Amino acid sequence: MEFTMKKPPIVQNSQSSLKRSFNLHIALIVVSIAAIILKAFTAVPDDATFTALDQAFKVFLMLAVGVGVSVIIELFYALSEGSTKKFESYEGFVDPINSGLLIALLLPTITPIYVLILAVGVGVYVGKLVFGGYGYYIFNPALVGVLFANVSFGSRLYVAGTPLELLKKSMSGETYQFENVMELFVGNYEAIAIGSTAAILLVFVMIYLIVTRVIDYRTVVAYLLTVGVISFIAGWVNGFLVDYVIVNMISGFTLFGAAFLVAESVSSPTSRETKYIYAVVIGIMMMLVRVLGNEAEGLVFAVLFGNMITPFINRTVKRSNKQGLIKTVSILAVSVILMGFVLGFLLQNRLIEAFASLGGMM
Amino acid sequence: MITEYSHYLEPMKVYIPITDDEYKIANVVVAGGDAVKIGQILAYKFKGKHKLPVVATVSGKVIEIVDKMDRFGKIVNHVVIENDEAYTLDDIPSYKDEVSTAEARKAIERAGLHKVDVDGLFTNLNFEEPIKHVVVSTVFVNEPFISTNYEYLLDNAPEIIDGVAILASAAATKDVTIVADKFLPSEVVDELGKAIVDHDLEEPIFVDTKKVKGWDYKVIQDITKEQLSPNVLDNGVLYVHANTCKMISDVVRKGFPVVSRNVAFTGDGLHKNVVMDVRVGTLLSEVVEELGGYIEQQELNLHIGNYLTGVQVPTDDFAITESVDAVHISIYDEVQEDVCIKCGECNDVCPAGILPQNIMDAELRAVGERIFDLHTDECVECGLCSYVCPSKINVLEWVRRAKRRVG
Repeated sequence: MEFTMKKPPIVQNSQSSLKRSFNLHIALIVVSIAAIILKAFTAVPDDATFTALDQAFKVFLMLAVGVGVSVIIELFYALSEGSTKKFESYEGFVDPINSGLLIALLLPTITPIYVLILAVGVGVYVGKLVFGGYGYYIFNPALVGVLFANVSFGSRLYVAGTPLELLKKSMSGETYQFENVMELFVGNYEAIAIGSTAAILLVFVMIYLIVTRVIDYRTVVAYLLTVGVISFIAGWVNGFLVDYVIVNMISGFTLFGAAFLVAESVSSPTSRETKYIYAVVIGIMMMLVRVLGNEAEGLVFAVLFGNMITPFINRTVKRSNKQGLIKTVSILAVSVILMGFVLGFLLQNRLIEAFASLGGMM
Repeated sequence: MITEYSHYLEPMKVYIPITDDEYKIANVVVAGGDAVKIGQILAYKFKGKHKLPVVATVSGKVIEIVDKMDRFGKIVNHVVIENDEAYTLDDIPSYKDEVSTAEARKAIERAGLHKVDVDGLFTNLNFEEPIKHVVVSTVFVNEPFISTNYEYLLDNAPEIIDGVAILASAAATKDVTIVADKFLPSEVVDELGKAIVDHDLEEPIFVDTKKVKGWDYKVIQDITKEQLSPNVLDNGVLYVHANTCKMISDVVRKGFPVVSRNVAFTGDGLHKNVVMDVRVGTLLSEVVEELGGYIEQQELNLHIGNYLTGVQVPTDDFAITESVDAVHISIYDEVQEDVCIKCGECNDVCPAGILPQNIMDAELRAVGERIFDLHTDECVECGLCSYVCPSKINVLEWVRRAKRRVG
């Protein structure tokens, strides 16, 4: 009897990339629904001409438009390629919907709809389809879109009085008092993005994504540790110990990035050592922008920078072994701690003085 | 799931391949019409200057020499012997009690016992290079799910451990490691333990076989404490299976050549799944007929050997040799390959510590230099990268292609 010589019946485990896409899909939908509900309860300024429900509807509209535009662009692209077979089942829609939701979640409530449409267009077309679609892009498509919107329409997307901005101002002498730190955890405040506020929910989503292996725990933990350690040391040098760490860890894009952006598998490196290097580089870049830069939030630039150096750091490893891993991790740990001190002293403009005194001591 | 144990030892004709994938030149010493006994030398096969005998596994008349596909998928000469059902033995010396290195090697070579375990890290019975460690696996990994063939160990424990002792003598080393399954039933452990104590060997190492993580690579690396080469004989390790040890014991103690092989027939393409003692040289098609044939299905897949690293063959018209440990016949199931999402799980699981994803990437871009840089030559083709891939990509095949590219 003759047998087929097509793919051999190699056994493979039960993991599947499609399942992972679906898990990411579920996580994004949960965060989107939470964003809508939260906006309905967020207090609006007294002199505002809109109500909280209007805001919630705006968030819903943004999410819907983001998804719609993303799906339409992918459909047109598939038509131009001559094959829409992928879109016959819901599976084909998962990735376009994910991209659309991510870009919408990364923009603030005040975003004009045409900016959102442009951001999704740039993100999905230039960021993803030009490179060949899902699995081939080198920059995170969502962040390409968000960066385009932030650079081109920065003044229209500016939200005053976010926790990070207040923190930055307080570093230069002005004093602010957060009324309620608990609100930072729940996410009941106006922030630079509609999806990035509910810290507790984002932590749960992050754990869910780690357990279902959509994102790699090593990247996430290394990134969060980097942000935590740098903000701890920089805060300690400047005498803002607890506030500095809490605000840096739970507001801004820190947790949203940990869950959805930093450990995104396609645009991040592939081996153990490089994952740690990548995560630490992103953490350091983000803290550099947050502490020294003009912008209050630096994650978008940091992750895109990390994506940019990914091919390079992928090329630096030849094999992975224990010694190499220990060496990499210890070098990274030392550099993170050193970076914390450097940033701390730079904030006070006495870096050279500090290092000179260190030299004197030695 | 394996449901029964049986044997098929009386085929009317046997087909003995006179070459294999290493010993490619042969010199036939019998002709059509000759009467042969079990263990009589039919041919000598050569690798360079090294020659090995090919022996008969039934007594009877040599009918002819035909071209046929062997279990590696190559067309080679086979000696066809008609069984006279007398099973008369040729005169082969046997040894009692302590066996010296020279005697053991001579007996193993006389029986033509050389290539038994072909999958994964297993090595040939090659004593040309000095051997520092002997590693014996008693774990049976012969199905697409891991099942342990306890019956075989239970029935043959004394012979297996005796074979291990003879092998150690043949290899002229005292360093013997026996690897056993952590989930062995206690009576099997007792049997093995008794035999091990009798022969004054060290206690077995127990491994967790439920986790597919390349435990044999780690065990051998712990023993040698160096980077393993794809053929662990280069590291001075002789790594064989319990089956082989049983064969060695038979050959040395009874003067009996390897006439039968314990083969697991599994898969949903067969009516029943059995472990069977099959006479070496029996055609697979004959065995399958004995088992009740294939199920009615258009496309079936035939796979010989380990479920991660075995080979796929296009037809069942080949002779079972002593190197066939498992035959898997399954309904062809088209699995959609997705794009690589660069999750890096193959890089994490690789027991050799190389980076299959990066090698695949370099192969896709056809950069020979980069493939060379990534230590592709250290790949032992264990197949774990294909096993863990969530996109169902056959990563091992890409690594093999990369190996071929750089030569």
